[in-house]
Amino acid sequence: MLKPVSEMPDDQKFLVSTVPPSREQTRLAAWVMLVLLLALIATVPFARVPLDNTEVLLPAYATAVLMSELITSALLFVLFSIQRSRAVLVLAIGYAFTALMIGPWVLTFPGVFGASGLLDAGLQGTALIAAVRRIGFPLFVLGYAALKDAGPTARDMRGPAHRVILGSLASVVAAVCGLTWLSVTGDEVLPRLMADNSQVSEVWRYVPASASVLCLAALALLWFRRRSVLDLWLMVVLCVWLIETFLLAYLSAGRFSIGWWAGRIYGLTSASTVMLVLLSETTALYARLARSVSAERRIREGRLTTLEVLSASIAHEVNQPLASMVTHADAGLRWLERRSPDLDEAKAALKSIVSDGHRAAKIIESVRMAFRKGTQDRIPLNINELIQEVLAHTRSEVRLNRVSIQAELNGRLPLVIGNPVQLQQVLFNLITNAIDAMSSVTDRARVLRIRSELHKPDSIMVSVEDVGIGLDAEHKDKIFEPFFTTKSHGLGMGLMICQSIIEAHGGRLWMMNNIPQGAAFHFTLPAELA
Amino acid sequence: MNPDQYFVFIVDDDPSMRRSLESLLRSVGLTPRSFESAHDFLLAERPEAPSCLVLDVRLPGRSGLEFQRELINSGVSLPIIFITGHGDIPMSVAAMKAGAVEFLTKPFRDQDFLDAVHRGIGYDRDRREKSAILADLQERFKSLTPREREVMALVVAGRLNKQIAAELQLSEITVKVHRARVMFKMRAKSLPDLVRIADRLTADSLKS
Repeated sequence: MLKPVSEMPDDQKFLVSTVPPSREQTRLAAWVMLVLLLALIATVPFARVPLDNTEVLLPAYATAVLMSELITSALLFVLFSIQRSRAVLVLAIGYAFTALMIGPWVLTFPGVFGASGLLDAGLQGTALIAAVRRIGFPLFVLGYAALKDAGPTARDMRGPAHRVILGSLASVVAAVCGLTWLSVTGDEVLPRLMADNSQVSEVWRYVPASASVLCLAALALLWFRRRSVLDLWLMVVLCVWLIETFLLAYLSAGRFSIGWWAGRIYGLTSASTVMLVLLSETTALYARLARSVSAERRIREGRLTTLEVLSASIAHEVNQPLASMVTHADAGLRWLERRSPDLDEAKAALKSIVSDGHRAAKIIESVRMAFRKGTQDRIPLNINELIQEVLAHTRSEVRLNRVSIQAELNGRLPLVIGNPVQLQQVLFNLITNAIDAMSSVTDRARVLRIRSELHKPDSIMVSVEDVGIGLDAEHKDKIFEPFFTTKSHGLGMGLMICQSIIEAHGGRLWMMNNIPQGAAFHFTLPAELA
Repeated sequence: MNPDQYFVFIVDDDPSMRRSLESLLRSVGLTPRSFESAHDFLLAERPEAPSCLVLDVRLPGRSGLEFQRELINSGVSLPIIFITGHGDIPMSVAAMKAGAVEFLTKPFRDQDFLDAVHRGIGYDRDRREKSAILADLQERFKSLTPREREVMALVVAGRLNKQIAAELQLSEITVKVHRARVMFKMRAKSLPDLVRIADRLTADSLKS
């Protein structure tokens, strides 16, 4: 079963071992696979051509593999210390093991450091090390795949991470030393894997066969349990490992042929792949975190101003009828206190007080509506549906003003997380503003264009454009300030509140002049993390 | 002058507020004229009588403070009383510095408002009177001949007739005649009176 990301602790949602791959990453992995397969096909015809005297390149190859696998292992250990996943630990140990095994392998390799290797192993020693590496790696990945859905292992992994890591490393070193000792000293008891210095024996056949089977098993398990970026790239690595095994065992003509070297290069590719992915993901995650921290800060500040603005707006809106009531009452008293009281004037003043009282009550009611339950809840939303709903609500106004609507909605937008009531309020405000702005237009068709599009991979943009009177440069800077209005009946609050809402959603609202005439309002909203 | 010849202009976009202010002003015998926007106010013809302007800080299109600056720049010297629903200190300081009579926060006490209006009208009346007197003095000064102006300048500077005669190369008799014409045309009762008139004229010409 796939586990919903939301069940994880917050700080683990964005790790390379938990975050799902994006469409681009999956596509990239597919491309890498394709290129490697093409390279394999290109190598096949020359696989058996021997390349003499290329032994000297082997230490360089071994160093490269050692370094990249060690770095990968270190990154995985760090990942483990954060996530405490036993699966990741197994994978880290696997990488450490294969990395360290390359040392004795190259040191015992016949013909590289002396005729029978620097460590004086017999013919079988090097082959044994190679066999252990070949079978060991898919075994570790299989372990990872089997453990990965075991859930958080906080219960049994509560000890300090560094102790677990040090223990694992010590075991790996001990295992590598033990195997090396065995292959150097126990040549007689070892299975006959090699027939001579470059040709393998019958027994060897079991090694690539079992490695391939293990690879395929791990691949299958990963395929069914795939969830994260790490899983995706591990599958790539397993495929490469499979190709390498295939090349070395069945296509090449023994050691130092083109096929054999090609297999080695595949090995290096597989070693570097996970390292590169881990490094790039770490950097990308760091950038994403930095961005989300600053976005969060903006949201907090946004909320603060929203509150301030709302209280100011309530105070102002209620104060207006109150002031009028007080003045009417004062005037009424003065009319009555005159030497010859003017009852008509006093009556008119009282009537105005009544209507002002009702006006104040209406304002209070609308404030209550704005704060009513549900305006704080945020849910995943399809912005296009929201736009359609608002357009449906404004239909009569649109018809009354003889405005034609051009909706260009991108149907393949990601969802956004937001409050439907508030976002509808924003859209409603922008659309009615646009209609108002065109009310004096008579020399051209009144067109309201509303568009939704992908802004960046992780955000969407909605634009509301009119062909109305537009705004002077002087007014342009002020439209988002409270109490600024160009309308005779506006409160000067609409755009300000719109901006607060959009910023509280982590987006941005801005205005530009439409070409050739009118105004264009744009806002962005961050897309839901897929 | 009668109070009902005093005009109070009101610019506020809230119709009910406008009606209430009109009623209050009428109840004390003043003549209100109200406008929905600064634009409407500028288009309207203003009677030449002592008056003041009651201005809401928040206006459609521009703020009352901006409008105050515009009025000052275009030479309209009408005393302004600001009323606002959300006055803050910097705003009121800015308004007062630019010469506002008063800055009242809604709702205000009617007496405070009426006091401010009367004070504003008082300023305007004084200003109008002063400028009327000055205009009259300028009129008188314009009626002098160039020679009489020269004589007046020297008289005001405290020269004796003999000295003036020497300086302008005239006979003392001629100077005396010019001097009498100056006193008559400027309607000065005495030499100190003429000096005061001259001071006012020079103060005004320095100002402009």
